[in-house]
Amino acid sequence: MKTNVKKIAKDGLLSSNPTLKLVLGTCPTLALTTMAFNGIGMGLAVTFVLICSNVIISLLRKVIPDKVRIPAFVLIIATFVTIVRLALDYAMPELYESLGLYLPLIVVNCIILARAESFASKNGIFASACDGLFTGLGFTAALTLMGAFREILGSGKIFGFKLWNFSIDFFGSSAGAFFTYALFIAAFNALSNAVAKKKRAAEYKAAFAAELISDCCAEARPVECAACGDVKEGVKKAANGADKKASDGEKTETEIK
Amino acid sequence: MKKFFSNDWVKCIAVLLIIALVSGGLLTVLNDLFYVSSEERTGRAIKKIYGEEKEYTVVLDSENGDDAVEYDFGKIEKIYAVENDTLFRTTGYNGYKNGTVTLWVKTVKDGDGYKIDKVILESYDKQTLMSKLDKAYYDGFLKDVTDTYYTVDAGGENSNPVTGATRSATAGVNAVNCVVKYLNEKAGE
Repeated sequence: MKTNVKKIAKDGLLSSNPTLKLVLGTCPTLALTTMAFNGIGMGLAVTFVLICSNVIISLLRKVIPDKVRIPAFVLIIATFVTIVRLALDYAMPELYESLGLYLPLIVVNCIILARAESFASKNGIFASACDGLFTGLGFTAALTLMGAFREILGSGKIFGFKLWNFSIDFFGSSAGAFFTYALFIAAFNALSNAVAKKKRAAEYKAAFAAELISDCCAEARPVECAACGDVKEGVKKAANGADKKASDGEKTETEIK
Repeated sequence: MKKFFSNDWVKCIAVLLIIALVSGGLLTVLNDLFYVSSEERTGRAIKKIYGEEKEYTVVLDSENGDDAVEYDFGKIEKIYAVENDTLFRTTGYNGYKNGTVTLWVKTVKDGDGYKIDKVILESYDKQTLMSKLDKAYYDGFLKDVTDTYYTVDAGGENSNPVTGATRSATAGVNAVNCVVKYLNEKAGE
């Protein structure tokens, strides 16, 4: 079966973004987004664990008995989390210290277990690796953006570099974390709803035009139809009608139904 | 025998065992590969305190055969001489759930006595509210070393209280008090 990388990428980054759409992994999201650097660090650590665990789980999906699949998944995930901990302590001690307790807690991160259970255990190796990569990148992007927002407003810095002397302490606090998270979810939903609405209107426009063409000369083949002067007129009318209805928004949607 | 091995529970245990063994093997190799030595950790601590790497001399190192300086309320595990300063790695007892707090304490010579110049956190055990111990808490120790110990009761001469994390603050205070006691003992010799 061919892997639809484009769909997996779109799901992981946007339509099923683990942080902003599915609201998973909220514990590190709230605790570690005081700085953009922490967000990137945590995001990349989770991405590494997601890719590796997805690949191994996908590879062993026919071997692991159904009854012990969760303990087996946790064992595999814990192994990769320990590898990340060892590597970070060795190579990036400052990041290791700032991630602190949340690094070993990746083992029980809902995102990783959810992807293992719902995707990797049912799909091939390449598709699972892609799913891990894009879900991880979606998580990283959300954490980094939230971290940058809170760092700029909470301490007047970005990636540790001072921007100005103005700061609002609230954004560095726990309450500020909840507030920022709510703001980001609201903005993300508003944006994705606007895009979906625009897409639906365009789909309706195309469907309406196609319907008028088939009404005009139902017997004719598409090539002949395009050559027919009456039909061309019909297409123009259809397109105009669709334009008008698409601009009506909700009304257009109701008419499709 | 064949029937035994085709049992579901045997399969389950075998798969989990194999995964655990492979994971264990992999982690053993990587643990060796990414091992951070005691010297390297000391170097990191010195870099964190001074902002750059410094040469140091070992005065006491409990990890290399020396006896730690043990008191009722804590112990000094390492002492280093860095230029004219003395650096202590000290652990305080009696924290939350009887846990510990380990600090690096830098002291400088100040006339005839010593002065605590910098205190930073190294690690802790069982302390869940360590984030309450902010910069003001660590800066609260930066005084001349006298024979008065630090306390977490508000109002004392060397008082360093922390609301909401009294037990963790106590362990931190105990760690610094180890250094105070050690320097007083040394001065009395």
